[in-house]
Amino acid sequence: MRDRLRIALTKGRLQDQSVELFEAMGLDCSPIRKPGRRLIHSIPNYPLDAVLAKAPDVITYVAHGACDLGIVGKDTILEHGHPFYEVLDLGFGACRFALAVKEGFDFYSSYQTRRVASKYPAFTRAFFERKGMDVSIIKIEGSVELAPLLDLADGIVDIVETGATLKANGLVPIETVAPVSARLIVNTASMKLYKSQIIDFIEKCQRELERAR
Amino acid sequence: MFYTANTPEGTRDRLFAECAERRRVQAALTRLFERRGYAEIITPEVEFYDLFLMSGNPMPQESMLKIIDRSGKICVMRPDCTTPIARVAATKLRDMVFPQRLYYNQTIFRSSTANMGGSSEIAQCGVELIGASGLRADVEMVAMAVDALRSCGLEQFHIELGHVGFFRSLTEGLSMEAEQVERTRQLIESKNFAALNQLLEPYGEQPASRALRALSRLFGDAAVLDEAERLAGRNEALDYLRQVYGELACAGYQEHLRFDLGLVHQIDYYTGLVFRGYAEGYGAEVLSGGRYDRLVEAFGRPAQATGFAVDVDGVAACLPPAELPRPRLIVHYGEGFLAQALAAVDGRAPGTCQLSPCGSLEDTRLLAGRKGIAGVLVIDAEGEREVPV
Repeated sequence: MRDRLRIALTKGRLQDQSVELFEAMGLDCSPIRKPGRRLIHSIPNYPLDAVLAKAPDVITYVAHGACDLGIVGKDTILEHGHPFYEVLDLGFGACRFALAVKEGFDFYSSYQTRRVASKYPAFTRAFFERKGMDVSIIKIEGSVELAPLLDLADGIVDIVETGATLKANGLVPIETVAPVSARLIVNTASMKLYKSQIIDFIEKCQRELERAR
Repeated sequence: MFYTANTPEGTRDRLFAECAERRRVQAALTRLFERRGYAEIITPEVEFYDLFLMSGNPMPQESMLKIIDRSGKICVMRPDCTTPIARVAATKLRDMVFPQRLYYNQTIFRSSTANMGGSSEIAQCGVELIGASGLRADVEMVAMAVDALRSCGLEQFHIELGHVGFFRSLTEGLSMEAEQVERTRQLIESKNFAALNQLLEPYGEQPASRALRALSRLFGDAAVLDEAERLAGRNEALDYLRQVYGELACAGYQEHLRFDLGLVHQIDYYTGLVFRGYAEGYGAEVLSGGRYDRLVEAFGRPAQATGFAVDVDGVAACLPPAELPRPRLIVHYGEGFLAQALAAVDGRAPGTCQLSPCGSLEDTRLLAGRKGIAGVLVIDAEGEREVPV
C-alpha cells in the first residue's frame, strides 16, 4: 500500500485558494507557499504530497493515476473529458462559460454558419451540437475577446467572471452555457485501492466547505 | 516522407522484455481458461461496422478505426471482442448445446485521444460463458476473475461487484423521468458526491432517494451491502449480491472481493451482476465484465451470457519487469558438425547459447567479445571444448 496520497493543484489562483482551504482544514502548507526549487511538496502533518501543474496537466496526471487527486476548474473538465471521479464542487474559482458577441449583434438570426472563437473548442462544439446548430470553431490560445473585434469570429465562448473585460471591449454575454468552479477529482483506481485515505481527505474538505458556508 | 520511419499515433513496437511481459500474462490466463473448460475462439480483426450498431453496445463511432472494403462497405478494426463472439454464438453455434465456454486472446483497436499517451491497440484476454444464467454461472465467472489475476502473479488487487438492478430498482421506485435517470446515473458514475445530493433533493427522504444519494459512496467491503439495505430496505439485487458473496466467501475468495453499488456504466448493455478489477500499480481497471443477457439475442438467438476481459498490458504493468536470458556461450563448429552444434544449443537453457555465423574461429571470438558473450564452444573433428574469448 502507498502510504501517502498525491494531489495535483492547478497553478495560479486555484492553487492559492486550494492552499487556503487546506490550511483551514489544518494542513501545514508551508512547503507549497515556499516551494524553492522542489517540484513535489510534502505536507508535514498529513499524508499528502502536492504537485503544481497547468490545468489540463492536472487532468492528465489524475487520469493516468500519476496523481491520486487533483483540483481543477470545471471548464478544463468540460473541455478534456472525464476518465476520473469528480467528487466535490469546491465552490471557489466560480465563474461561468458564456457565449458573447459584439454589442447589438444578433448571433442566432442568420442562416449563415457562424464562426465562434474559443480556448475550449471541444466544449464549444458539444454546446452547439446540442443545439443542432452548425458553427465553425476557431481555436484561440490567448485573449479570445480579440477575435470578434478583428472580425475573425462572430462570437466567443469563454469563461466570464465579472464581465469587465467583455464590457471594456464592447462585447456582451448573451447566453450562459455552463457554471464553472473548482472541482476535486480522483483517479478511479486510487479511489478503490486507497479508499479510506481518500474518503478521509474528501470528508475533511467537505466539512471545511460546510463550516465556511 | 519522414513520418514513414515512425508508427502511427497510439501504436508502438514492442521489443524483448516487453514481449515477454505480455506473453507471460497471456500464458497464465489462457492456461487457466483452458483448465476450466474454455475453448479458444479467434474472430477476424476486421468486422462490419453495422455489427456494432446492431449490438446496441454504446460505443461512440469516433472511437472505432474504420476501413472501407472493396465493395464499399464500412468495416472497423475489432473494437471489442464480445460482440463478434455473440455473433458467432447466435449463428455458427446455433445448433450446439448451451452453455458454451469460450475464451479469446486478441487485440482490440480503439482510436485513442490525441497526445494522451493512450494506446490504440489493447491486448485483451477474456472469457464468455454463453447460454448460462443464474447464481452458479455468475459465481463461476467472479471466481475465475479472481483466479485470473492471481494466476498472473498479482497479490494486491480487488474484484469489485455491483448489480445494475440496484440502481434500476431505486430509480423506478422514484418514477423518475428518463433524462433525470441518466443525469443521476452520470453523477453516480463520476462519484459526484455533492451534485448528486442536490439533484435528488426534490425527492425528499424516501428510502430510494436516500439510497440513490448515498450510491456514489457505497463502495468498499461487504458492509456496504448492509448500509445499502439500511437505506433502501429489502432489495432483490442486494440479496443476490449477498448470495454471490456468500458462495464465494465460502470458497475462500472474500479477501479479494469488494463492492461498488455505484457501478452504473453501460447500464443499457449489462443486465445483472457487473464487476471490475483494480490492481496496485495501474491507474485504471485491469479487468472488467458482467452479465449481458440481451446481446446474443440481437443476432437472432436468445442466450443469456456473462464474461470478462483482462487488460493484458495493464496487468503486466503491475508485475515486476521480465528478465530475458542472457547468451553466455557461442558455438563455433567445423564443417560437417552442424548436428552436434545444434544439439549443444538445444541442450542448454533457452536463450543462453547460440550458433556462430562466422567461418573462422578468430571472427567468432571477435563477435563474442563485442556481444559480451563469455565463452566460445568449439565443436570439430578434435571434439568439443570451451575456449576463452
